[in-house]
Amino acid sequence: MKDRLLPYWLLIPAFVIVLATTIYPLAHSLITSLRDWDLTKSRRPEGFVGFDNYVYAASESQFLNSLWVTFVFVITSVILTVILAMALALLLRRKGPMHTFTRIILILPFAMSPALIGVSYRFMFNPEFGVLAKGLGAIFPALQGVPWLADPQLAMAILVLTDVWHWTPYMTFMCLGGLASIPRETEEAARIDGASNLRIVFGIILPQMKGVILVMAVLKTIFALKMFDQVVTLTGGGPGTSTETLAYFIFNVGFRWFDMGYASALAWILTAIMMFISIWYVRMLLSERKMATA
Amino acid sequence: MAEVRLVDIEKRYGGFLAVPKQSLTIHEGEFLVLLGPSGCGKTTTMRMIAGLEDITAGDILIAGARVNDKPPKDRDIAMVFQNYGLYPHMTVRQNIDYPLKLRGMNLADRKARVLETAAKVELDALLDRRPSELSGGQRQRVALARAIVRTPSIFLLDEPLSNLDAKLRVTMRAELKHLHHELGVTTVYVTHDQMEAMTLASRVAVMRDGRIVQLDTPKKIYAEPADLFVAGFIGSPSMNLIDGHISGGLFRADGVELPVDLADRDGVVLGIRPEELDITHDTGAAISGKLYALELTGESTLVTLRNGPSSVCARGHADFEAEIDSPCHLKPRTGARIHLFDRETGERLG
Repeated sequence: MKDRLLPYWLLIPAFVIVLATTIYPLAHSLITSLRDWDLTKSRRPEGFVGFDNYVYAASESQFLNSLWVTFVFVITSVILTVILAMALALLLRRKGPMHTFTRIILILPFAMSPALIGVSYRFMFNPEFGVLAKGLGAIFPALQGVPWLADPQLAMAILVLTDVWHWTPYMTFMCLGGLASIPRETEEAARIDGASNLRIVFGIILPQMKGVILVMAVLKTIFALKMFDQVVTLTGGGPGTSTETLAYFIFNVGFRWFDMGYASALAWILTAIMMFISIWYVRMLLSERKMATA
Repeated sequence: MAEVRLVDIEKRYGGFLAVPKQSLTIHEGEFLVLLGPSGCGKTTTMRMIAGLEDITAGDILIAGARVNDKPPKDRDIAMVFQNYGLYPHMTVRQNIDYPLKLRGMNLADRKARVLETAAKVELDALLDRRPSELSGGQRQRVALARAIVRTPSIFLLDEPLSNLDAKLRVTMRAELKHLHHELGVTTVYVTHDQMEAMTLASRVAVMRDGRIVQLDTPKKIYAEPADLFVAGFIGSPSMNLIDGHISGGLFRADGVELPVDLADRDGVVLGIRPEELDITHDTGAAISGKLYALELTGESTLVTLRNGPSSVCARGHADFEAEIDSPCHLKPRTGARIHLFDRETGERLG
């Protein structure tokens, strides 16, 4: 009897830690999202307002704008990162003379802090002294003096660029892992059967990478949905609100305007989006595995 | 059908010489087996023919045309891989159809050809399954069907039966032999299993350290192995190889005295196959020792006797019984082939 209970006793410390650090804050924020709480007026949440915070969000233009900005950012950064990572992995999978060196160099962007990346790119795109702004201006004279981060479209493009630059190496390594698990014989059989290189990539390799690509896309989507650091250090959500992502907007609502109830509701909307994507991903992955092992 | 000629081909990986310079001609319609232990260069040789490995030196000619620089798809070959190399995301039908689709055949012809080929290898009922839903034997058939569907000039088979269980291997072996008879396509087959080589081949090329050490019919290789390596490699159980010397017209080793037709010399290895030895009660027989082990194989009993460091195996009657460690005597059958090799060089003597 004692032995049978022992595993449960051993689990208790971990369970308490999870409860204190994850479940409690989640539950607390969920309850807060149903209350009115202006931090400038009260140190404690006030009365329950039901779903008023959620209903308000549905019609508030700034929230809808941040949702749209996040959508544009997520779609472009996920697509670009996955495509680039796949292409790089296909180039790097054969062991060449610079194999190890290339891989070390490749991991460096991912090792950098996102906030630092934002600051670096802000300097590099400064029209007065930025190395990238100057360099691009030297190569393409039409780009001389372009206020890169002052233009809404260009600012979003640069935000996406920094994120793609940051995440592509990690995703490339995921792709390399996936590629290594594909039997060499399938590719060789296709070469003998008469497939061109392009056909081998699209007809043989990519279908076998479906599972890995799915994992990559979902992971990247979840991280992109939470995009915050680079927004703070690179664009500050601007110009205007053109790069104000949902995470940055929630931060503003909570810690600039001190509307904790509304900020909690927005945070739960973001969580719901991520949960929806995660559940969809698990279902896709399970059906993929079922097909592979059936 | 086409003739394949390897002319002075060589393969190096950096400083490592995988296949030293050698030549080989595979005749039209022939079933040639490349046989040898792991790492002897047989698969590399086949991959060079397929165009999956570049050759470092020499020429490969298929049907008289030099194909060194041609990609695999332009060599008119089909290959079956050890792990089958099936496309896991495609059904059996799509797997078989893929080579035809890539070569631009029209849909109606493709459909007919796929059905015809599937019937040939008894896959008709499994056409809509994926490889993961098939057994090892069925996957093997799909790989074969994909290879034969467009009737290439050459079949390359790389240890295609090695992942199957023993029973299925025997069945598939017969099917391969029948298929070769039916299609008559030049076939190169790589294996480390000498039984497969003996049963399937028109000719066998025994390889060691990248070199072909003997190229001949299975019968000839079995009867007259070119050297000590081939003698030990071919045959199951393998040939008895006894270390000794020759003096006074007799080969002598511990418990062994056999008349041979060779001048006196040291460092000789005598080879005799187990099936060419008889168990006898004659205490003055050529080979004597103590019974070490009895192994019933069904149709016969393998009798192993030992005398000092040498052990000798004979194939006896299935009913043969004796006490372990009891004295045992063997004599060569009338007309038995006795092989003599130089211990140092491994070369055949006499």
